[in-house]
Amino acid sequence: MTNAVLHQQKDSEIESSPVSYNSEILELFIKSLQRQRDPQILDVGPVCEENIMFFAQQLKRIYVCDMFLRLDRELRADRDPAKVWVHLDYAPSTFDGIQLWDFCDHLDDTQVKRLGGLCHTMLKPEAFLMITAFEEQTHALPLNAFVTQINYQINFRHQPHLKLPWLCRHNRALMSILPGFNHIKSFQYRNGLREFLFKKSQ
Amino acid sequence: MLKRGKKDENDSPSDTSMTMSERITPSTPKPSAGQGKTIIGENIAIEGSIRGEENLVIEGALKGNIEMEKHNFTVGSRGRVDGEIRAQNVSISGELKGNITALGKVEITKDADFYGEIKAKSISVEDGAYFKGMIELDREPHRKSSEGTKPASPSGLGSIKGPTSKPVDAKKET
Repeated sequence: MTNAVLHQQKDSEIESSPVSYNSEILELFIKSLQRQRDPQILDVGPVCEENIMFFAQQLKRIYVCDMFLRLDRELRADRDPAKVWVHLDYAPSTFDGIQLWDFCDHLDDTQVKRLGGLCHTMLKPEAFLMITAFEEQTHALPLNAFVTQINYQINFRHQPHLKLPWLCRHNRALMSILPGFNHIKSFQYRNGLREFLFKKSQ
Repeated sequence: MLKRGKKDENDSPSDTSMTMSERITPSTPKPSAGQGKTIIGENIAIEGSIRGEENLVIEGALKGNIEMEKHNFTVGSRGRVDGEIRAQNVSISGELKGNITALGKVEITKDADFYGEIKAKSISVEDGAYFKGMIELDREPHRKSSEGTKPASPSGLGSIKGPTSKPVDAKKET
């Protein structure tokens, strides 16, 4: 594994979650999609009622495929984590946007590349990919859902049913394992979070 | 010829039209007047479509479509359903593969596994539910609620500030 620091989450290591923040990139992501006719968006989870309501209201409909829970089930059963990709079986060029949240932080480089390839296939030309990533931590963070509120404010809600590894990456490392995407914009927040918006290259 | 006994005046109409599933499920709660409920027990498997005029709970297995626009449909925690659902309100605690059209609300609990599409007026989903599918909500009635989405639960938040707290600013654009 390169360019990644693995944190195996242990309950004793869990300290605190990041504070809430206003997501500049989510706003850009949504507004870019709203300019399109009947946009199709995929959210990879964790399943969160507030996000479903938010996306369904902003964009009429939302596709959800909870890859966090799928990965958790594969790891708990001691199966190859690569088996999760069978669930991202959407047709090529289906989506105008994919919201990955911090899913890449729980995958090794090989699996992030695989995920990037699948997203590239599932996205329409010039469609958007949004990724959130944590800065390298000295301790494992609790796994949270990113809960979208009004004005693109993101709060966090602990997901105690999920136990996934943490693999934090530097910006360059993250971008280098996502070929086929152009970097549009990114923000770094005081709470240790980074957000990236990518556009599928032709 | 058998003599028919005098009908008890307190008998509700639903008592005389008890379904087979109610007879074989002793723990079935008695339906309330005008709002009957049928429970398909966990040892029952059904293939075929169901159209009904009372609420239905599936604890067993069902392969087929459900049509009960004025009544509620529930997949219990041990229930497994494969089919299209059209009902007033739908609640899922077990496994459901198929599309749902609900005139009211769809409720997905933390124990549910759902694969399909949902068209409904509103939806509630508990953390922990497995969901793969599409959701399309009736947007009109929710315009007001979109201006004030409910706050995240404070449980397990560590040092997270509530929604009224000032969120952190963007540190830098890159």
